Amino acid sequence: MSSVVPAAVTPPGGDPPAAAGAIAARSPLELFWRRLRADRVALGALIFIGLLVLVAVLAPLVVKLAGAPAPNVRSTDALDPTFGSATGPSADHLFGVDNLGRDVFSRVIYGARVSLEVAILATGSAVVAGVVVGMLAAYHGGWVDTVISRTLDVLLAFPILLLGIGLASACSLGDGCLGLIQPGLGVVVVVIAIATFPYIARIIRGQVLSLREKEFVEAARSLGASDRRIIFRQILPNLVAPIIVYTTLVLPQNILFEAALSFLGVGVQPPQASWGQMISDASAEFEDAWWFMFFPGAALVLTVLAFNLVGEGLEDALHPKARK
Amino acid sequence: MNDLRLRRARRPLPSRPLLLGCVATVALVLGACGGSSSDKKVAAGGFASGLPTDGQKRGGTLKLLGSEGFFHLDPGGSYFQLDYMVTYATQRPLYYFKPDDPKTAVPDLADGPPQVSADNKTVTVKIKSGIRYGTNKKTAITGKEVTAADVKYAFERGLNPSVANGYEGVYFPLVGADKAKGGPISGITTPDAHTIVFKLTKPFGATTARALVMPLTVPVPKSYVAPLDAKQPNPYDAQPERQAFTGPYMISDYKAGKTITLVRNPQWDPKTDFKPAYLDRIEWTIDADPNVAGRQIFSGTGLANADTPTAGAVKRFATRAKDRITFTPLGNRFVGVNTQRKPFSDINVRKAFAAALDRRAMLLARGGPLVGQLATHFLPPTIPGYDEAGGAKGTGADYLANPSGDPAVAAKYMKLAGFPSGKANGEKVVMLGENDSPAKETAQITRDAIASLGFDVSFRLLDQSTLYSKFCGVRTELEKIDVCGFAGWLPDFSDPYAMLTANFYGKSITAVNNSNASLFDDPAVNAAMDKAALIADAGDRAKAWGAIDRRLVDKVAAVPFLFDNVANIASKNVQGVVGQWIASWDLAYTSLK
Amino acid sequence: MARYILRRIGWTVVLLALVSAVTFVIFYALPSADPAVLRAGRQASPELVAQIRARLGLDDPLVVQYWTYMKDVVLHFDFGFSYQSGESVRAAIVSRLPATISMTVGALVIWLATALPIGVISAIRRRSLLDRVTMTGALLAISAPVYWLALVALYLFASDIGVIPIFDGANTYVGITQDPVQWFASLLLPWLVLAAGFSAFYARLLRANLVEVMGEDYIRTARAKGLPERRVVWRHGVRAAITPIVTVLGLDIGVLLGGSILTESVFNIPGVGRYAYDAIRTADLPAIQGTVLFAAFFIVVANLVVDIAYAFLDPRVRYG
Repeated sequence: MSSVVPAAVTPPGGDPPAAAGAIAARSPLELFWRRLRADRVALGALIFIGLLVLVAVLAPLVVKLAGAPAPNVRSTDALDPTFGSATGPSADHLFGVDNLGRDVFSRVIYGARVSLEVAILATGSAVVAGVVVGMLAAYHGGWVDTVISRTLDVLLAFPILLLGIGLASACSLGDGCLGLIQPGLGVVVVVIAIATFPYIARIIRGQVLSLREKEFVEAARSLGASDRRIIFRQILPNLVAPIIVYTTLVLPQNILFEAALSFLGVGVQPPQASWGQMISDASAEFEDAWWFMFFPGAALVLTVLAFNLVGEGLEDALHPKARK
Repeated sequence: MNDLRLRRARRPLPSRPLLLGCVATVALVLGACGGSSSDKKVAAGGFASGLPTDGQKRGGTLKLLGSEGFFHLDPGGSYFQLDYMVTYATQRPLYYFKPDDPKTAVPDLADGPPQVSADNKTVTVKIKSGIRYGTNKKTAITGKEVTAADVKYAFERGLNPSVANGYEGVYFPLVGADKAKGGPISGITTPDAHTIVFKLTKPFGATTARALVMPLTVPVPKSYVAPLDAKQPNPYDAQPERQAFTGPYMISDYKAGKTITLVRNPQWDPKTDFKPAYLDRIEWTIDADPNVAGRQIFSGTGLANADTPTAGAVKRFATRAKDRITFTPLGNRFVGVNTQRKPFSDINVRKAFAAALDRRAMLLARGGPLVGQLATHFLPPTIPGYDEAGGAKGTGADYLANPSGDPAVAAKYMKLAGFPSGKANGEKVVMLGENDSPAKETAQITRDAIASLGFDVSFRLLDQSTLYSKFCGVRTELEKIDVCGFAGWLPDFSDPYAMLTANFYGKSITAVNNSNASLFDDPAVNAAMDKAALIADAGDRAKAWGAIDRRLVDKVAAVPFLFDNVANIASKNVQGVVGQWIASWDLAYTSLK
Repeated sequence: MARYILRRIGWTVVLLALVSAVTFVIFYALPSADPAVLRAGRQASPELVAQIRARLGLDDPLVVQYWTYMKDVVLHFDFGFSYQSGESVRAAIVSRLPATISMTVGALVIWLATALPIGVISAIRRRSLLDRVTMTGALLAISAPVYWLALVALYLFASDIGVIPIFDGANTYVGITQDPVQWFASLLLPWLVLAAGFSAFYARLLRANLVEVMGEDYIRTARAKGLPERRVVWRHGVRAAITPIVTVLGLDIGVLLGGSILTESVFNIPGVGRYAYDAIRTADLPAIQGTVLFAAFFIVVANLVVDIAYAFLDPRVRYG
């Protein structure tokens, strides 16, 4: 997909007039909550995500309750004895087994952990890095801005998936990159963060640039406020909305990104279960063994869909478009 | 032959003489022995036999689907299964194995059997007259007759860095070769245009004579090729359509990584050759998707596999098209652990690992009992010495007694190794594997076995060529790794020397392209191998090497787990003939129906 | 204006040089197959390997290797030879380009042809059943990984293995010059799968933009003036809503021309994306360099075109 185009975002300017007396105006936050609560689809998605997080955190318990074996246990008895191939959904294995005899249901549950962990960590780091870099560039201007902008340009010129694959491969061997990042989950998080933060940085930079010229910032400056105060008191609060919107747009994309990296073999390493990797394993035999291609994929679709719905809901709640 | 048997295809090759008097088909696995011409089409189990039959039709185009490229199409460098398929269809070595008789080498370019002197240091071969070179474009050597000097040059160029033959030094210890780097070798002489004499530095004649089936013996005309040999990369290899061809077919077109096309060689005279060469044309796709290829071969026409089919394809054919799939036994597979590094330098830890490994799961991961039988030692059923080493039952070692592994035995040996609890304490073990099925799956099973002993396994999967050319084949890297890829071997010709030395002989350990994956270097075993190499009598040789095989198992030089069966699949109108000695299609005998 | 264009072009060139430098550094660190060892045989002597290394220039310092590489690229348009197959990288990319272009153009046509009407109709009939259904479907299509969709599509519709055999399955691609009919048939399913996600995205984007535009004052004015609704929508509404779409379209085309790795892999279409992925997997450095540069080129040029187009439309940008 192309770079994300965020909806037009305008910072709420100033406080609403407090009417003296009878009618108390609602603060933007209250309005936001009201609108969100009314959006049942988004709420439903939010609940789904909450459940998903719960399941991911409590994975071992869930698996035990379902009576399924642990995700990395290979039961050779579940394999076809003549061909060694996978068998489908049955009484013992709700979603069937994969080509090594591992329970697919178990692995889908544990895969949720990987997907959520990676997406949250990677998105979080990308957002933090993007905000810092973007603000730095926009606020200081001058040569700092030029250097940062040009660097971002270079990063943005890279085909993102190739960059991800390359970095993941390069950093996955032995001592990892610079000896710091260890192979496996850590590498994937860092790779995705590096690949996605430039977009955020660019947009934040644009936001801060326009904010910088606004009157209330000038006013604060003329009153003698320090840079730090301006950043934290004036600019950051106005960035909260676009940051939230952006995060919810990017998070599901990063879930898909991790899955794509795992699908291509450079993400999380076996035997750790990841949805993308399970689909990749399945692609060799999917016409006979559809189950271990289908279930992880369906899990991915539902998860990403839920995040997308929540993102949409948040965006609508923050900036309701004119309703006729 | 080199063991790069990863990624379906790059299977090394070699011959397989069957000393059991039966044709090597799955019949072997199922215990029967077949073979009259009436039931040639069907082997035991209902699978196709892959043998030549009477009344095969001439003409037509065969399309091969493969996903692996070639290593070297230059006959001087050709050393992998796919390379061999092309080389043996387009060129004529001194000797050849007919598809149905992998134990008897018949003269191809040669005129009669090789003469080995009494002192075993001289081998003399006479070559046929009237064999001419065919080329795509008309050149100075088109239509010229092959002479003994061409065979001499073939050996000389093998040592040229631009050709870099991988086995010349091993089987042809020629006088004067140690100083030659592409220039003349004094140990090869040609008293006349049709006689060639090899002088050896040691009494190795019996083995050298058997090695005359190798592609290195393919004649190469010096006047035409010497200028090409001076270039790097060598055009004789990179642009194989420029070669001088002696076989029934020639390479008419080659697009690296995509396709190769073989057409009839107009200069090939069927009167000088026993090969029928039914097909008119062979079109070989090199970048097909292996999963899809299996399906296409199943439902299409005029198609056959080039690389090893996937487990899914084998299953499909074995259940729904038994008469279009053949199984041919070939070679062994084992897990090599670094015997020069802790923890596996301790023989008790190795025994524990052998006991912990679920070999039955490894077999299932590769496709089940159809693709191989569990191995209990290293010499496969088709190599002399197999029975002497224990046959199917094995040596009786307790750590190999249970095919699914035996945790109790494993614990016992761990205790003997100095881990009183029967498990290690999280010591680090480094393992690298290949990231393609089925090596990916077997690597995970191996990892599990090591982890079950209590070790902390650092596990990483890489692509095949990186894994071997950068890590497992390079001694300095291998020294830091405990389990590097998987090993297996296909003998260059049916002899236990060719089967065991590459992997387990101390002097086989080289700095690059190392084939001794376990870095196994036991002086007693080395000495025994040196002695056994010189034995001429077949029975004594088998006994001696069988004893060596037992020793290797006792010392756990590696953990054997499989004697392979190679599957080959074809569409319904293809009469595929398998060269039993390399377990792949013999293009000079295959036809359409 | 001309100065702006020149400046941007100048920066594009510098950008590409930087991209190639960064690529060199990243992929040089990959544990690549040693090409010298690949070319040598079993039990090759270290001297032989060293000889081959010297000939391939593998022992030179990184900077020297990079410089040699860039010189070849700029002066001779030579991207070196693949470590794996020995084939010229430029030839390999050029021969795979038609497949990638076929994929891009076909998918483009389909997704535009579907997204535009759906986006517009959904915007007009906001909150109708049609709107809700299509927008939800679109959201589903965006949420599904393209390779999974491809596998499901193959499982359901491929002529060789599918439950309902309609379309040609994977690995059936031939060049348009070889067999136009087969070319078309083999690309139908990949086009549909690739277009699905984009179509969904563009439909939603167009709808969102159009809804916003339709709320503007000048639309109300146009209506008040008595213009027919259709004119209002198409002449004024869609025209305004489509500008940001063109931007994104340009960027997407740029990205797709670099090769859609995932779709090409599943359908086994011999395009540049597949080649790039195989190159990275086998750490074939020259091929990696070539394909990354190639893909970056399209991305950067697409950006350039879009920027220049904007400069025409909005003078303020030129002085930014």
